[in-house]
Amino acid sequence: MSVRTLLERAVGTVERWQVLDAPGYQVEHAISLTFLLSGRYARRLQDVLHGVWLGHPLHPFLVAVPIGSWGAAAVLDGLDAAGRGGPGTGQAARAVIRLGVAGAVASAATGLTDWQHAHDEARRVGLVHGTLNGTALALYTWSLADRTRGRATRARLTAAAGYAVVLASGYLGGVLSYRHRLGVDHSESRRDPRRFTPVAEVADLTEGRPVGVYVDGVPLVLVATGGEVRAVGGRCPHLGGPLGEGWLHRGELVCPWHGSRFHLDTGEPAQGPSTAPLPCYDTRIHDGRVEVRRRARWRTPTATTAVEEASR
Amino acid sequence: MKADEVLTAHHDVLRGLLRDLAETTDAETERRRQLRDELLRQLEIHTQIEDELFYPAVRNVSPLLSLAHAEHRQIDDQLATVMRMAVDDPEFVPEVRMLEKTLRHHTMEEEQRMFPHSHALGEDRLEELGEQLRARQHELARSGGMRLIIRLKRATLRLTPTAGPS
Repeated sequence: MSVRTLLERAVGTVERWQVLDAPGYQVEHAISLTFLLSGRYARRLQDVLHGVWLGHPLHPFLVAVPIGSWGAAAVLDGLDAAGRGGPGTGQAARAVIRLGVAGAVASAATGLTDWQHAHDEARRVGLVHGTLNGTALALYTWSLADRTRGRATRARLTAAAGYAVVLASGYLGGVLSYRHRLGVDHSESRRDPRRFTPVAEVADLTEGRPVGVYVDGVPLVLVATGGEVRAVGGRCPHLGGPLGEGWLHRGELVCPWHGSRFHLDTGEPAQGPSTAPLPCYDTRIHDGRVEVRRRARWRTPTATTAVEEASR
Repeated sequence: MKADEVLTAHHDVLRGLLRDLAETTDAETERRRQLRDELLRQLEIHTQIEDELFYPAVRNVSPLLSLAHAEHRQIDDQLATVMRMAVDDPEFVPEVRMLEKTLRHHTMEEEQRMFPHSHALGEDRLEELGEQLRARQHELARSGGMRLIIRLKRATLRLTPTAGPS
Protein backbone atom coordinates (compact mmCIF):
# COMPACT_ATOMS: atom_id res chain seq x y z
CA MET A 1 0.00 0.00 0.00
CA SER A 2 1.36 3.43 -0.89
CA VAL A 3 1.99 6.21 1.62
CA ARG A 4 -0.76 8.18 -0.05
CA THR A 5 -3.37 5.48 0.44
CA LEU A 6 -2.35 4.90 4.04
CA LEU A 7 -2.61 8.58 4.92
CA GLU A 8 -5.86 8.87 3.00
CA ARG A 9 -7.35 6.03 5.04
CA ALA A 10 -6.14 7.46 8.33
CA VAL A 11 -7.57 10.89 7.57
CA GLY A 12 -10.81 9.38 6.28
CA THR A 13 -11.23 7.50 9.55
CA VAL A 14 -10.89 10.71 11.55
CA GLU A 15 -13.26 12.57 9.20
CA ARG A 16 -16.01 10.00 9.66
CA TRP A 17 -15.51 9.59 13.41
CA GLN A 18 -18.82 10.93 14.67
CA VAL A 19 -17.89 10.09 18.27
CA LEU A 20 -15.79 13.27 18.19
CA ASP A 21 -18.83 15.50 17.68
CA ALA A 22 -20.07 15.52 21.26
CA PRO A 23 -16.70 16.43 22.84
CA GLY A 24 -16.18 18.86 19.95
CA TYR A 25 -19.28 20.80 20.88
CA GLN A 26 -18.28 20.73 24.54
CA VAL A 27 -14.94 22.32 23.65
CA GLU A 28 -16.72 24.90 21.52
CA HIS A 29 -19.05 25.77 24.39
CA ALA A 30 -16.03 26.29 26.61
CA ILE A 31 -14.43 28.60 24.03
CA SER A 32 -17.72 30.44 23.63
CA LEU A 33 -17.98 30.91 27.39
CA THR A 34 -14.40 32.21 27.59
CA PHE A 35 -15.13 34.85 24.98
CA LEU A 36 -18.47 35.65 26.60
CA LEU A 37 -16.64 36.42 29.83
CA SER A 38 -14.41 38.92 28.08
CA GLY A 39 -17.57 40.97 27.51
CA ARG A 40 -17.38 43.74 24.97
CA TYR A 41 -13.78 42.89 24.12
CA ALA A 42 -14.88 39.45 22.88
CA ARG A 43 -15.35 40.55 19.29
CA ARG A 44 -12.14 42.49 18.98
CA LEU A 45 -10.18 39.72 20.66
CA GLN A 46 -11.56 37.13 18.25
CA ASP A 47 -10.87 39.37 15.26
CA VAL A 48 -7.24 39.78 16.35
CA LEU A 49 -6.88 36.02 16.77
CA HIS A 50 -8.58 35.23 13.45
CA GLY A 51 -6.25 37.68 11.69
CA VAL A 52 -8.85 40.13 10.35
CA TRP A 53 -6.20 42.87 10.70
CA LEU A 54 -3.71 40.76 8.75
CA GLY A 55 -5.88 39.93 5.76
CA HIS A 56 -5.44 36.17 6.15
CA PRO A 57 -5.51 33.76 9.09
CA LEU A 58 -2.96 34.45 11.83
CA HIS A 59 -2.68 30.79 12.86
CA PRO A 60 -0.43 29.45 10.04
CA PHE A 61 1.87 32.43 10.60
CA LEU A 62 2.35 31.59 14.30
CA VAL A 63 2.79 27.82 13.97
CA ALA A 64 6.17 28.43 12.35
CA VAL A 65 7.44 29.44 15.80
CA PRO A 66 6.97 26.10 17.66
CA ILE A 67 7.78 23.98 14.60
CA GLY A 68 10.98 25.93 13.93
CA SER A 69 12.11 26.20 17.55
CA TRP A 70 11.45 22.56 18.34
CA GLY A 71 13.20 21.55 15.13
CA ALA A 72 16.24 23.50 16.29
CA ALA A 73 15.99 21.77 19.68
CA ALA A 74 16.03 18.37 17.93
CA VAL A 75 19.30 19.32 16.18
CA LEU A 76 20.88 20.53 19.43
CA ASP A 77 19.74 17.41 21.31
CA GLY A 78 21.12 15.27 18.50
CA LEU A 79 24.52 16.94 18.77
CA ASP A 80 24.56 16.42 22.54
CA ALA A 81 23.48 12.79 22.24
CA ALA A 82 26.25 12.17 19.70
CA GLY A 83 28.74 13.72 22.10
CA ARG A 84 29.49 16.52 19.67
CA GLY A 85 27.74 19.31 21.55
CA GLY A 86 29.60 22.30 22.94
CA PRO A 87 29.36 23.82 26.43
CA GLY A 88 26.30 25.93 25.50
CA THR A 89 24.30 23.32 23.55
CA GLY A 90 22.12 22.23 26.46
CA GLN A 91 21.32 25.78 27.43
CA ALA A 92 20.49 26.69 23.83
CA ALA A 93 18.15 23.68 23.57
CA ARG A 94 16.31 24.82 26.71
CA ALA A 95 15.95 28.33 25.31
CA VAL A 96 14.49 27.22 21.96
CA ILE A 97 12.12 24.75 23.62
CA ARG A 98 10.83 27.59 25.82
CA LEU A 99 10.33 29.78 22.76
CA GLY A 100 8.49 26.89 21.13
CA VAL A 101 6.22 26.50 24.15
CA ALA A 102 5.30 30.19 24.01
CA GLY A 103 4.66 29.95 20.28
CA ALA A 104 2.54 26.83 20.79
CA VAL A 105 0.32 28.59 23.31
CA ALA A 106 -0.22 31.49 20.89
CA SER A 107 -0.88 29.04 18.06
CA ALA A 108 -3.43 27.21 20.21
CA ALA A 109 -5.30 30.45 20.93
CA THR A 110 -5.54 31.34 17.23
CA GLY A 111 -6.23 27.76 16.19
CA LEU A 112 -9.10 27.29 18.64
CA THR A 113 -10.62 30.60 17.58
CA ASP A 114 -10.61 29.53 13.93
CA TRP A 115 -11.66 25.95 14.69
CA GLN A 116 -14.82 26.91 16.61
CA HIS A 117 -16.54 27.72 13.31
CA ALA A 118 -15.45 24.60 11.39
CA HIS A 119 -18.08 22.12 10.26
CA ASP A 120 -18.40 18.33 10.23
CA GLU A 121 -15.29 16.57 8.84
CA ALA A 122 -13.04 19.61 9.26
CA ARG A 123 -14.21 19.99 12.86
CA ARG A 124 -13.28 16.37 13.64
CA VAL A 125 -9.87 16.63 11.97
CA GLY A 126 -9.30 19.93 13.78
CA LEU A 127 -10.12 18.36 17.12
CA VAL A 128 -7.55 15.61 16.58
CA HIS A 129 -5.02 18.18 15.32
CA GLY A 130 -5.51 20.25 18.46
CA THR A 131 -5.34 17.22 20.76
CA LEU A 132 -2.04 16.13 19.18
CA ASN A 133 -0.62 19.62 19.57
CA GLY A 134 -1.72 19.66 23.20
CA THR A 135 0.09 16.35 23.66
CA ALA A 136 3.25 17.76 22.07
CA LEU A 137 3.06 20.83 24.28
CA ALA A 138 2.78 18.60 27.35
CA LEU A 139 5.75 16.48 26.23
CA TYR A 140 7.95 19.54 25.73
CA THR A 141 6.91 21.00 29.07
CA TRP A 142 7.84 17.71 30.71
CA SER A 143 11.12 17.69 28.79
CA LEU A 144 11.94 21.18 30.09
CA ALA A 145 11.24 20.07 33.65
CA ASP A 146 13.52 17.05 33.19
CA ARG A 147 16.28 19.27 31.86
CA THR A 148 16.33 21.37 35.02
CA ARG A 149 16.31 18.13 37.07
CA GLY A 150 19.33 16.94 35.13
CA ARG A 151 17.61 13.92 33.55
CA ALA A 152 19.18 14.61 30.18
CA THR A 153 18.45 11.35 28.36
CA ARG A 154 14.79 11.18 29.28
CA ALA A 155 14.45 14.89 28.43
CA ARG A 156 15.84 14.26 24.95
CA LEU A 157 13.54 11.28 24.43
CA THR A 158 10.38 13.17 25.40
CA ALA A 159 11.42 16.05 23.14
CA ALA A 160 11.96 13.62 20.26
CA ALA A 161 8.52 12.09 20.89
CA GLY A 162 7.05 15.60 20.99
CA TYR A 163 8.61 16.40 17.66
CA ALA A 164 7.15 13.26 16.06
CA VAL A 165 3.70 14.23 17.36
CA VAL A 166 4.12 17.78 16.02
CA LEU A 167 4.99 16.48 12.56
CA ALA A 168 1.93 14.20 12.48
CA SER A 169 -0.22 17.06 13.66
CA GLY A 170 1.29 19.40 11.09
CA TYR A 171 0.19 16.94 8.43
CA LEU A 172 -3.39 17.25 9.73
CA GLY A 173 -3.03 21.03 9.71
CA GLY A 174 -2.22 20.73 6.02
CA VAL A 175 -5.31 18.55 5.54
CA LEU A 176 -7.39 21.31 7.14
CA SER A 177 -6.22 23.99 4.77
CA TYR A 178 -5.55 22.12 1.53
CA ARG A 179 -8.37 19.63 1.66
CA HIS A 180 -11.03 21.28 3.81
CA ARG A 181 -10.04 24.77 2.73
CA LEU A 182 -10.23 26.27 6.23
CA GLY A 183 -8.83 29.78 6.14
CA VAL A 184 -8.86 29.86 2.35
CA ASP A 185 -10.74 32.70 0.64
CA HIS A 186 -14.04 31.20 -0.56
CA SER A 187 -15.29 34.30 -2.35
CA GLU A 188 -15.76 34.45 -6.09
CA SER A 189 -12.47 34.90 -7.90
CA ARG A 190 -13.68 35.41 -11.46
CA ARG A 191 -13.24 38.88 -12.88
CA ASP A 192 -16.58 38.75 -14.68
CA PRO A 193 -18.68 40.49 -15.76
CA ARG A 194 -16.26 42.91 -17.40
CA ARG A 195 -18.95 44.91 -19.14
CA PHE A 196 -22.06 46.31 -17.46
CA THR A 197 -24.61 43.50 -17.37
CA PRO A 198 -28.23 43.82 -16.22
CA VAL A 199 -28.99 41.68 -13.16
CA ALA A 200 -32.26 42.95 -11.68
CA GLU A 201 -35.16 45.37 -12.02
CA VAL A 202 -34.79 48.45 -9.81
CA ALA A 203 -38.43 47.95 -8.81
CA ASP A 204 -37.54 44.57 -7.28
CA LEU A 205 -35.19 46.11 -4.71
CA THR A 206 -36.27 47.24 -1.24
CA GLU A 207 -34.27 49.86 0.63
CA GLY A 208 -31.91 48.23 3.12
CA ARG A 209 -32.71 44.64 2.18
CA PRO A 210 -30.02 42.50 0.52
CA VAL A 211 -31.11 40.59 -2.57
CA GLY A 212 -29.18 37.64 -3.99
CA VAL A 213 -28.83 37.50 -7.79
CA TYR A 214 -26.75 35.50 -10.25
CA VAL A 215 -24.78 36.79 -13.19
CA ASP A 216 -23.17 34.14 -15.43
CA GLY A 217 -23.50 31.68 -12.56
CA VAL A 218 -21.70 34.01 -10.14
CA PRO A 219 -23.66 34.84 -6.96
CA LEU A 220 -23.93 38.54 -6.11
CA VAL A 221 -25.72 40.58 -3.47
CA LEU A 222 -27.45 43.84 -4.33
CA VAL A 223 -28.34 46.33 -1.62
CA ALA A 224 -30.32 49.49 -2.21
CA THR A 225 -29.19 51.98 0.39
CA GLY A 226 -29.44 55.74 0.54
CA GLY A 227 -30.64 56.07 -3.05
CA GLU A 228 -27.74 54.00 -4.39
CA VAL A 229 -27.37 50.36 -5.28
CA ARG A 230 -24.29 48.55 -3.98
CA ALA A 231 -23.17 45.19 -5.32
CA VAL A 232 -20.76 42.77 -3.64
CA GLY A 233 -19.94 39.07 -3.95
CA GLY A 234 -22.62 36.65 -2.77
CA ARG A 235 -20.35 34.04 -1.20
CA CYS A 236 -18.74 34.67 2.17
CA PRO A 237 -14.91 34.49 1.96
CA HIS A 238 -14.85 32.61 5.29
CA LEU A 239 -16.64 29.36 4.42
CA GLY A 240 -18.83 30.29 1.48
CA GLY A 241 -22.00 31.25 3.39
CA PRO A 242 -24.87 32.54 1.22
CA LEU A 243 -24.73 36.33 1.70
CA GLY A 244 -27.89 36.73 -0.40
CA GLU A 245 -29.67 35.32 2.68
CA GLY A 246 -27.85 37.80 4.91
CA TRP A 247 -29.07 41.11 6.32
CA LEU A 248 -27.86 44.60 7.16
CA HIS A 249 -26.77 45.71 10.62
CA ARG A 250 -25.46 49.25 11.06
CA GLY A 251 -25.07 49.44 7.29
CA GLU A 252 -22.88 46.33 7.16
CA LEU A 253 -23.76 43.08 5.43
CA VAL A 254 -23.96 40.16 7.88
CA CYS A 255 -23.25 36.55 6.89
CA PRO A 256 -26.06 34.27 8.10
CA TRP A 257 -23.69 31.40 8.95
CA HIS A 258 -20.97 32.72 11.27
CA GLY A 259 -21.74 36.41 11.54
CA SER A 260 -18.90 37.96 9.51
CA ARG A 261 -19.76 41.58 8.69
CA PHE A 262 -18.69 43.47 5.58
CA HIS A 263 -18.50 47.13 4.53
CA LEU A 264 -20.66 47.52 1.45
CA ASP A 265 -18.54 50.17 -0.24
CA THR A 266 -15.15 48.45 0.07
CA GLY A 267 -16.07 44.81 0.70
CA GLU A 268 -13.60 44.77 3.62
CA PRO A 269 -14.55 42.66 6.65
CA ALA A 270 -15.75 44.84 9.55
CA GLN A 271 -15.84 41.78 11.79
CA GLY A 272 -14.52 38.23 11.50
CA PRO A 273 -14.35 35.27 11.24
CA SER A 274 -13.78 36.29 7.61
CA THR A 275 -10.28 37.69 7.16
CA ALA A 276 -10.63 38.36 3.43
CA PRO A 277 -12.67 41.06 1.67
CA LEU A 278 -15.65 40.53 -0.61
CA PRO A 279 -15.30 41.32 -4.30
CA CYS A 280 -17.04 44.57 -5.25
CA TYR A 281 -18.94 45.48 -8.38
CA ASP A 282 -19.61 48.85 -10.02
CA THR A 283 -23.29 49.49 -10.50
CA ARG A 284 -25.40 51.75 -12.66
CA ILE A 285 -29.11 52.10 -13.38
CA HIS A 286 -30.08 51.79 -17.02
CA ASP A 287 -33.66 51.62 -18.30
CA GLY A 288 -35.01 50.79 -14.85
CA ARG A 289 -32.57 47.93 -14.49
CA VAL A 290 -29.54 47.48 -12.27
CA GLU A 291 -26.36 46.73 -14.21
CA VAL A 292 -23.12 45.53 -12.64
CA ARG A 293 -19.48 45.23 -13.63
CA ARG A 294 -16.65 43.73 -11.63
CA ARG A 295 -14.65 46.53 -10.03
CA ALA A 296 -10.92 46.60 -10.57
CA ARG A 297 -9.09 46.25 -7.26
CA TRP A 298 -5.68 47.07 -6.01
CA ARG A 299 -5.28 43.47 -5.09
CA THR A 300 -5.30 40.67 -7.61
CA PRO A 301 -8.55 38.74 -7.34
CA THR A 302 -7.58 35.74 -5.29
CA ALA A 303 -6.91 32.32 -6.69
CA THR A 304 -6.91 33.46 -10.31
CA THR A 305 -3.53 33.71 -11.95
CA ALA A 306 -2.86 35.52 -15.19
CA VAL A 307 -2.43 32.12 -16.88
CA GLU A 308 -5.83 30.85 -15.73
CA GLU A 309 -7.33 34.13 -16.77
CA ALA A 310 -5.85 33.90 -20.28
CA SER A 311 -6.97 30.31 -20.78
CA ARG A 312 -10.64 31.11 -20.18
CA MET B 1 -48.05 16.76 17.23
CA LYS B 2 -45.09 15.88 15.06
CA ALA B 3 -41.60 17.03 15.98
CA ASP B 4 -41.40 19.71 13.28
CA GLU B 5 -44.79 21.09 14.31
CA VAL B 6 -43.74 21.33 17.96
CA LEU B 7 -40.58 23.19 17.00
CA THR B 8 -42.34 25.48 14.53
CA ALA B 9 -44.86 26.41 17.23
CA HIS B 10 -41.98 27.26 19.55
CA HIS B 11 -40.30 29.27 16.77
CA ASP B 12 -43.53 31.30 16.59
CA VAL B 13 -43.26 32.05 20.31
CA LEU B 14 -39.65 33.21 19.87
CA ARG B 15 -40.42 35.32 16.80
CA GLY B 16 -43.38 36.87 18.61
CA LEU B 17 -41.27 37.77 21.65
CA LEU B 18 -38.63 39.41 19.46
CA ARG B 19 -41.23 41.35 17.51
CA ASP B 20 -42.81 42.61 20.74
CA LEU B 21 -39.41 43.49 22.16
CA ALA B 22 -38.41 45.41 19.04
CA GLU B 23 -41.66 47.37 19.17
CA THR B 24 -41.21 48.64 22.73
CA THR B 25 -40.17 52.24 23.29
CA ASP B 26 -37.14 53.41 25.29
CA ALA B 27 -39.54 54.51 28.07
CA GLU B 28 -41.05 51.03 28.60
CA THR B 29 -38.09 49.78 30.59
CA GLU B 30 -39.97 47.35 32.80
CA ARG B 31 -41.77 45.68 29.90
CA ARG B 32 -38.46 45.48 28.02
CA ARG B 33 -36.80 43.81 30.97
CA GLN B 34 -39.64 41.28 31.28
CA LEU B 35 -39.74 40.44 27.59
CA ARG B 36 -35.98 40.12 27.46
CA ASP B 37 -35.91 37.73 30.42
CA GLU B 38 -38.68 35.67 28.89
CA LEU B 39 -36.77 35.57 25.60
CA LEU B 40 -33.62 34.35 27.35
CA ARG B 41 -35.67 31.64 29.06
CA GLN B 42 -37.44 30.45 25.91
CA LEU B 43 -34.24 30.49 23.84
CA GLU B 44 -32.44 28.47 26.47
CA ILE B 45 -35.24 25.89 26.48
CA HIS B 46 -35.38 25.83 22.71
CA THR B 47 -31.64 25.29 22.27
CA GLN B 48 -31.67 22.57 24.85
CA ILE B 49 -34.54 20.52 23.41
CA GLU B 50 -33.07 20.77 19.92
CA ASP B 51 -29.57 19.82 21.06
CA GLU B 52 -30.79 17.03 23.31
CA LEU B 53 -33.49 15.42 21.22
CA PHE B 54 -34.05 16.77 17.74
CA TYR B 55 -30.52 17.12 16.31
CA PRO B 56 -29.33 13.67 17.43
CA ALA B 57 -32.49 12.19 15.87
CA VAL B 58 -31.97 13.83 12.46
CA ARG B 59 -28.18 13.58 12.23
CA ASN B 60 -28.36 10.82 9.66
CA VAL B 61 -31.06 12.35 7.49
CA SER B 62 -30.01 16.00 7.36
CA PRO B 63 -26.60 17.47 6.48
CA LEU B 64 -27.51 20.78 8.13
CA LEU B 65 -26.60 20.05 11.76
CA SER B 66 -23.33 21.96 11.71
CA LEU B 67 -25.05 24.99 10.25
CA ALA B 68 -27.78 24.80 12.85
CA HIS B 69 -25.12 24.75 15.57
CA ALA B 70 -23.31 27.68 13.97
CA GLU B 71 -26.55 29.64 13.91
CA HIS B 72 -27.34 28.82 17.53
CA ARG B 73 -23.92 30.18 18.37
CA GLN B 74 -24.63 33.41 16.50
CA ILE B 75 -27.96 33.77 18.27
CA ASP B 76 -26.26 33.14 21.61
CA ASP B 77 -23.57 35.77 20.98
CA GLN B 78 -26.08 38.38 19.88
CA LEU B 79 -28.37 37.55 22.80
CA ALA B 80 -25.40 38.22 25.09
CA THR B 81 -25.03 41.65 23.51
CA VAL B 82 -28.71 42.40 24.10
CA MET B 83 -28.62 41.06 27.68
CA ARG B 84 -25.68 43.28 28.60
CA MET B 85 -27.30 46.49 27.35
CA ALA B 86 -29.10 48.97 29.53
CA VAL B 87 -32.81 48.65 28.66
CA ASP B 88 -33.07 52.37 27.89
CA ASP B 89 -30.02 52.40 25.62
CA PRO B 90 -30.87 54.06 22.28
CA GLU B 91 -29.01 51.19 20.60
CA PHE B 92 -31.26 48.61 22.24
CA VAL B 93 -33.75 48.29 19.38
CA PRO B 94 -31.13 48.03 16.58
CA GLU B 95 -29.42 45.21 18.51
CA VAL B 96 -32.76 43.46 19.09
CA ARG B 97 -33.48 43.76 15.37
CA MET B 98 -30.11 42.16 14.66
CA LEU B 99 -31.05 39.28 16.97
CA GLU B 100 -34.45 39.03 15.28
CA LYS B 101 -32.86 38.71 11.82
CA THR B 102 -30.38 36.12 13.08
CA LEU B 103 -33.18 34.08 14.60
CA ARG B 104 -35.40 34.46 11.55
CA HIS B 105 -32.68 33.08 9.31
CA HIS B 106 -32.13 30.13 11.61
CA THR B 107 -35.84 29.27 11.88
CA MET B 108 -36.23 29.65 8.10
CA GLU B 109 -33.30 27.27 7.57
CA GLU B 110 -34.92 24.70 9.83
CA GLU B 111 -38.50 25.07 8.66
CA GLN B 112 -37.76 25.15 4.94
CA ARG B 113 -34.74 22.84 4.74
CA MET B 114 -34.08 20.72 7.80
CA PHE B 115 -37.68 19.81 8.67
CA PRO B 116 -38.38 18.48 5.16
CA HIS B 117 -35.24 16.32 5.58
CA SER B 118 -36.61 15.07 8.90
CA HIS B 119 -39.67 13.61 7.15
CA ALA B 120 -37.40 10.75 6.09
CA LEU B 121 -37.74 9.50 9.68
CA GLY B 122 -41.37 8.58 9.01
CA GLU B 123 -44.66 9.72 10.55
CA ASP B 124 -44.52 7.47 13.61
CA ARG B 125 -41.01 8.43 14.64
CA LEU B 126 -41.81 12.14 14.16
CA GLU B 127 -44.93 11.81 16.31
CA GLU B 128 -42.98 10.04 19.02
CA LEU B 129 -40.19 12.63 18.83
CA GLY B 130 -42.76 15.42 18.94
CA GLU B 131 -44.16 14.03 22.18
CA GLN B 132 -40.67 13.80 23.68
CA LEU B 133 -39.88 17.38 22.65
CA ARG B 134 -43.11 18.67 24.13
CA ALA B 135 -42.68 16.78 27.36
CA ARG B 136 -39.09 17.98 27.75
CA GLN B 137 -40.10 21.54 26.89
CA HIS B 138 -42.73 21.56 29.64
CA GLU B 139 -40.38 19.89 32.07
CA LEU B 140 -37.66 22.49 31.43
CA ALA B 141 -40.15 25.34 31.72
CA ARG B 142 -40.89 24.22 35.28
CA SER B 143 -37.44 22.96 36.21
CA GLY B 144 -35.56 24.57 39.07
CA GLY B 145 -32.23 23.66 37.46
CA MET B 146 -33.17 25.58 34.35
CA ARG B 147 -34.16 28.62 36.42
CA LEU B 148 -30.80 28.47 38.14
CA ILE B 149 -28.90 28.26 34.86
CA ILE B 150 -30.80 31.26 33.52
CA ARG B 151 -30.15 33.31 36.64
CA LEU B 152 -26.47 32.42 36.55
CA LYS B 153 -26.25 33.33 32.90
CA ARG B 154 -27.99 36.65 33.46
CA ALA B 155 -25.80 37.51 36.41
CA THR B 156 -22.62 36.53 34.56
CA LEU B 157 -23.53 38.62 31.56
CA ARG B 158 -24.14 41.64 33.76
CA LEU B 159 -20.84 41.21 35.56
CA THR B 160 -18.70 41.04 32.43
CA PRO B 161 -17.60 44.29 30.76
CA THR B 162 -20.68 45.92 29.27
CA ALA B 163 -21.15 45.85 25.55
CA GLY B 164 -20.81 48.98 23.55
CA PRO B 165 -22.10 48.91 20.00
CA SER B 166 -20.68 45.75 18.46
